[in-house]
Amino acid sequence: MRKLPLRNTSLSLILIVSFAGVPLTLALGHEEHHAECNDTAINALKADIQAMGEGEAKTTARKELEAAQQSMAKNDTEGCKNHIHSAMEATEK
Amino acid sequence: MSNAGRRWSLVAGALLTLLGAVAVAVYAGIYNVAADVPHTQPVYWLFETVRDRSIASRARDIVVPNELSDPARISSGAGQYAEMCSVCHLAPGMKRTEISRGLYPRAPELRRKTDLTAAEQFWIVKHGVKMTGMPAWGVTHDDKLLWDVVAFLRKLPELTQEQYEVLVKNAPKHEELMQERGGRHQHGDKHE
Repeated sequence: MRKLPLRNTSLSLILIVSFAGVPLTLALGHEEHHAECNDTAINALKADIQAMGEGEAKTTARKELEAAQQSMAKNDTEGCKNHIHSAMEATEK
Repeated sequence: MSNAGRRWSLVAGALLTLLGAVAVAVYAGIYNVAADVPHTQPVYWLFETVRDRSIASRARDIVVPNELSDPARISSGAGQYAEMCSVCHLAPGMKRTEISRGLYPRAPELRRKTDLTAAEQFWIVKHGVKMTGMPAWGVTHDDKLLWDVVAFLRKLPELTQEQYEVLVKNAPKHEELMQERGGRHQHGDKHE
């Protein structure tokens, strides 16, 4: 019984440490799908698409890339990011 | 000067002008060799075609060993692949690495199916490919070890993440394999 407060403290500590890592884990998981709208991202996508074998995924990726470039030209950053994200997903298929 | 002579002079002049323009462009550094700016599609197609035809013609006479489906070879190849190749060519369940994202041309993801024959894969692994980041493993590894890698590559597209991880976990360590074989060309393997 005398050790109970210590056990509670330890349990709390374990729980705090465990949950403290959750946002970081989620952030790392999200990083994979992080899309930027700039020339570097567009060029990286072009390189990825060049390396793909012909097929539906490549066609989709190309179309999304073109749409991203059009959005970029219109200063529609969010639209551009969305298309880049879709293109990135297509390159991973 | 005859008509034919005039025509040849014109052709020669045009060729010289073209060569001069190419020389100026090369010397002025007009073409961007940065790896983060892809080739234009025609240049990419040209390099890809040169590469594919070069590999196909050189791999034509390579004799493929019969026992590429031997589990021992696949296991040996898995260990080597995990150590030497996966950082660029990735593996089932593996996320893209910083190297794989920055290489240009992109290193092919070998978990995907390929049109390459076993002989072509062996040639590439052994000799490497100029200006792609693909090293010539034949400089440091003998043919038997390289065929083990090819045996694994033939199997790779069928593997799930779990199967891949089990194979790698149980594979002989690369350093052990190298020590066992006492370095390169110690066992009288026939080299292509």
